[in-house]
Amino acid sequence: MPTSAYLLLGAALFCMGVFGVLTRRNAIGVLIGVELMTNAVNLNLIALSRANGHLTGQAFALFSLALTVAEVIVGLAIVLLLYRSHRSVLTDSAVEMKG
Amino acid sequence: MAETIAFGIIAACMLGSGLLAVTSKKLVHSVLWLAATLVSTAALYVALAAPFLAAMQIVLYTGGVVTLMLFGVMLTDQAHDVGAANLSGKRLPAVLLGLLLFGLLAAAIQRTSLPPIVEAPPASTVELGKVLLLDHVVAFEALSVLLLATMIGAIVLARRNDVQD
Amino acid sequence: MNIASPITLAAVAVMAPLATFLIIGLIAPLRRSGKPAAWVGILGATTSTVAAALLVVDGRSDILIADWLGAGGKFFASIGFQVDGISASMLLVVSLVAWCVQVFSLGYMSDETPAGLGRYYTWHSLFLFSMNGLVMSPNALQLFLCWELVGLASYLLIGFYFRKPSAGRAAVKAFWITKLADIGLGAGLVALYVLTAKASPDGLGSFDWSPQVAQAIGTGGATVVAGLFFVAVMGKSAQFPLHIWLPDAMEGPTPVSALLHAATMVAAGVYLVVRAYPLFQAAPDVLLFMTYLGAWTAIFAAVIATVQTDIKKVLAYSTCSQLGYMVSGLGAGSLFGGYFHLFTHAGFKALLFLGAGALIHAVHSNELTDMGGLWRKMKLSGTAFILGALALAGVPGLAGFFSKDTILEALHASGQTVPWLMLLLAAGLTAFYMTRVVALALFGKPGHHTEHAHEAPASMLIPVLLLAVTAVGAGYMGGPLAKMVGAEYAFHWSMTGIIATSLGLLGIAAGWAIYGARIVTAEQLAVFAPIGNFIRASAVDRSAAWVYRNAMLGLGSGIAWFDRYVVDGVMNLTAWLAMSGGQQLRTFQSGRAGDYVYAVLVGVVLLVAAGLWNA
Repeated sequence: MPTSAYLLLGAALFCMGVFGVLTRRNAIGVLIGVELMTNAVNLNLIALSRANGHLTGQAFALFSLALTVAEVIVGLAIVLLLYRSHRSVLTDSAVEMKG
Repeated sequence: MAETIAFGIIAACMLGSGLLAVTSKKLVHSVLWLAATLVSTAALYVALAAPFLAAMQIVLYTGGVVTLMLFGVMLTDQAHDVGAANLSGKRLPAVLLGLLLFGLLAAAIQRTSLPPIVEAPPASTVELGKVLLLDHVVAFEALSVLLLATMIGAIVLARRNDVQD
Repeated sequence: MNIASPITLAAVAVMAPLATFLIIGLIAPLRRSGKPAAWVGILGATTSTVAAALLVVDGRSDILIADWLGAGGKFFASIGFQVDGISASMLLVVSLVAWCVQVFSLGYMSDETPAGLGRYYTWHSLFLFSMNGLVMSPNALQLFLCWELVGLASYLLIGFYFRKPSAGRAAVKAFWITKLADIGLGAGLVALYVLTAKASPDGLGSFDWSPQVAQAIGTGGATVVAGLFFVAVMGKSAQFPLHIWLPDAMEGPTPVSALLHAATMVAAGVYLVVRAYPLFQAAPDVLLFMTYLGAWTAIFAAVIATVQTDIKKVLAYSTCSQLGYMVSGLGAGSLFGGYFHLFTHAGFKALLFLGAGALIHAVHSNELTDMGGLWRKMKLSGTAFILGALALAGVPGLAGFFSKDTILEALHASGQTVPWLMLLLAAGLTAFYMTRVVALALFGKPGHHTEHAHEAPASMLIPVLLLAVTAVGAGYMGGPLAKMVGAEYAFHWSMTGIIATSLGLLGIAAGWAIYGARIVTAEQLAVFAPIGNFIRASAVDRSAAWVYRNAMLGLGSGIAWFDRYVVDGVMNLTAWLAMSGGQQLRTFQSGRAGDYVYAVLVGVVLLVAAGLWNA
């Protein structure tokens, strides 16, 4: 398959993630959207790594993978904290930063 | 030909489950559809000659992240009443924005001249390890520090305040 | 003698006090422990003194210059060490006096709390570092930096008893008046840099004071630079009318006065003239002004010294007077004369201050009337004090005689009769007021505390006796010192010397007749009291206060008006704009994460679109 097919697939997945992030009010739902987006990015990285014929892209994807895991862990910890302080995980409920 | 069919099936699985992951009314279903998306992506990794990453994808994401998210959903007790509150009303602008972005990205991909794929045997884990530990060793070590910080941060954040030591 | 290179020795002499300053200053438990901190400080001073002595014995000249403040391959300035006869001998004087003072303080400050003692030695180390750095400066810029550090350290030392309001005020006064004068040094540096930059082919200025620089900037340039430098000298070396901080600075501990007001801080001004002498030589107008101002200060301060009742005030005015001698001698074209007097004066004036400190320590009072008859109780320190007084009075054979004679000779040779006569008169007055102090404090009617007085402890006696040796011997160092400075010196009797000596002896006789033997009582001299009152220090203080009240406050209120209505107005307008703008902008901040994500994604779409558009 041509690389562009993978890239298009990644773009579609990324836009789905965007849609999820924009529409979900539940914080965990937002996290799911973010996961889709980073997954799309990883797909692009690996596809381009193969297109270019060397492994740096894969190494980068691996780093990205680890970073995403870290992000999810901290994100979920924050969701737990939000739930404890607001009895809710809806992002609308945390509006303390309103100007 | 068989490759194209396989790619089409996997891509369809991925996009379908991805769409369901962002539209399901129940959060638990969303998480499970996410898992399905991630597994489909792992299959694509295999097709892209990156078996190690495919394995990592399954171990880390489906084994770790998805499980963690399920725990999160259960701990915050949202499993039962996610229905109405899960999706906000502003779907149309989000759809438009998503489609617009996809259009732009697709146009960009079409206009870029990509190199043809080099047909090579799947990269061995040994080679990947060399790239990681020789060329990118600083980043690798920095990442280990980051993971440690994440661990401590998660403990600090999630710890109950009323439990003293 | 070839132990180490001159530069190494100089670096050791400068850096040892810095090291002790950092050690005492940063290690709080050590500082608060008092005595151990004092010993660390003394160790630093000892190292400096030994290094300086080796440097003098070594006798080689060397210079180390490191580029500093570089930009684009060109360097704006340089720092380093300049080792030559002048700096090596001055380094020895400074370090030795500092060592004596620090050892003396062990006994003198024994009533101090450990924390206070630690603080005291911290500032002493800082002071010694700054002063040694100043002495070793290869150019005017480094000298200026160290000069300011010296000012800071002296402020801290004068204000050591900061709980006493008068000490705090005295420290502030000393600081501000010297800072006011330092504007001259700063402006002089700028002028020097600009003028040398104009004269040099590559357009790069310098802060050097070499004869080449003086030649390059010409007489006009040298007059500007030397004149501005001399303003700073007037402040630091307490020349009329900027001398008013010096008597007040006696609020500091007596050893501090010995350090600051005998050998080091006040001598820094004279030292600046000595170092930048090529520039001064190219400016005859400035030299002439120095001759007259120095002579005037010498006689003016000597008159005031005759009526002071506080032993330290007498010594303070005496210092002003002697600095006047140095400035006048330098003005008359005798580099060696001024420097020689600086050299001898450092020894015997430090001796006088430390001796006075021993007396004050014995009776817990500065007043001459509270002392009286102390000689019977304190034979050793009393003798040393008398030696110092005689050296200052210019008795033949003692240190002050030789150096004062050199200055007077120089004035005579330059044909400036008026300053010469003024200085001769001042020599007589000097002998008079020192005899008065000796007669009142050591002999005279016993005061209240005289009965309980004891000889000073060893830590105070050793430095005093050591300095007594210099008071006797420093005068005979004229020949070697002249060779180090690059001048010729051999003592011979001349008309001037005979007149000065006679006037000195006359002064001693008159002083003894009035205050010692009481042949003529002070009451009979009361007719002269109005004169004394007229030229008392307070007159100068009052005129300074008048200038302050009228000129300074007027200017101040003008600036205050500008500040309140123009500067504040602009600031308030800015603040109002920021606030109302913020009020408008805050409506964008909904506080909901979703809205921000929307904004970010719209931005991403726009960026991608822009990228495609340009591609």
